Amino acid sequence: MIEEVQTVVISLPATAEYVDIVRLNLYGIASKMGFSYEEIEDMKVAISEACNNAVLYAYKHGNGVMEVTFEVSSDALIITVRDEGESFDMWNMADAAASLHDKELSDIQVGGLGFYLMQALMDEVDVVSEAGKGTKVVMTKRLNITRELV
Amino acid sequence: MVTNKNDKFAVNTICEDGYCTIYMHGELDLSVAPDFRKMIEPFVTDQNTKLVLNLKELEYIDSTGIGILLSILKARNSMNAGFYIEEVPGQIQKLFDMTGITKFFTVQENS
Repeated sequence: MIEEVQTVVISLPATAEYVDIVRLNLYGIASKMGFSYEEIEDMKVAISEACNNAVLYAYKHGNGVMEVTFEVSSDALIITVRDEGESFDMWNMADAAASLHDKELSDIQVGGLGFYLMQALMDEVDVVSEAGKGTKVVMTKRLNITRELV
Repeated sequence: MVTNKNDKFAVNTICEDGYCTIYMHGELDLSVAPDFRKMIEPFVTDQNTKLVLNLKELEYIDSTGIGILLSILKARNSMNAGFYIEEVPGQIQKLFDMTGITKFFTVQENS
């Protein structure tokens, strides 16, 4: 059987005021798919962090666009946040993504927390950044079907 | 788009007996972070009053918001001034635990 994937694409101004619109869309799609409240809350944080990075770092010169794609299948939701801004050093933070568990208050840098959260809250996170072509963050959350079998 | 930020995030503040408690409502994210930072500044720098953040009605926080809490922590810590977080909702506590910020917070026991 060929797995059917349905795709929803939204394109928004890459500004902070629109990130909550992305969260609202995510909520609608994820709840329709049967994700739990907690899973949806986790995804809300992850998707917002991806959008925040597009807003903060992608477009240094004027406003740009961020495109969010939801790929809906029976066993997973794949979310892609894409911008066409300059590729940015921020994504090098991916390597430096870290929590604060081993740190003292005086040593803390806030950068990197967003990426750390994305990784911690989703099943898979992939960042593709190409100079001049923007950045694409692909995040997967699997639908836990065992829950329905209980 | 003109958005009414007040619909999304709001605070009200009660100061008494040497404590200022700031009740946070709604979603603290990138779009309201600058306003919140500005609003809370005088309370953060007031060394003589203990600062309490009540998160009971806070529905959402992102890494920007967590970053603000960290900067408050650092500032209060360096002044040796009291700073407490109280009534943290489960989902937000999970983010605090995940990021490792929890160990820096003093939870108000009598809340």
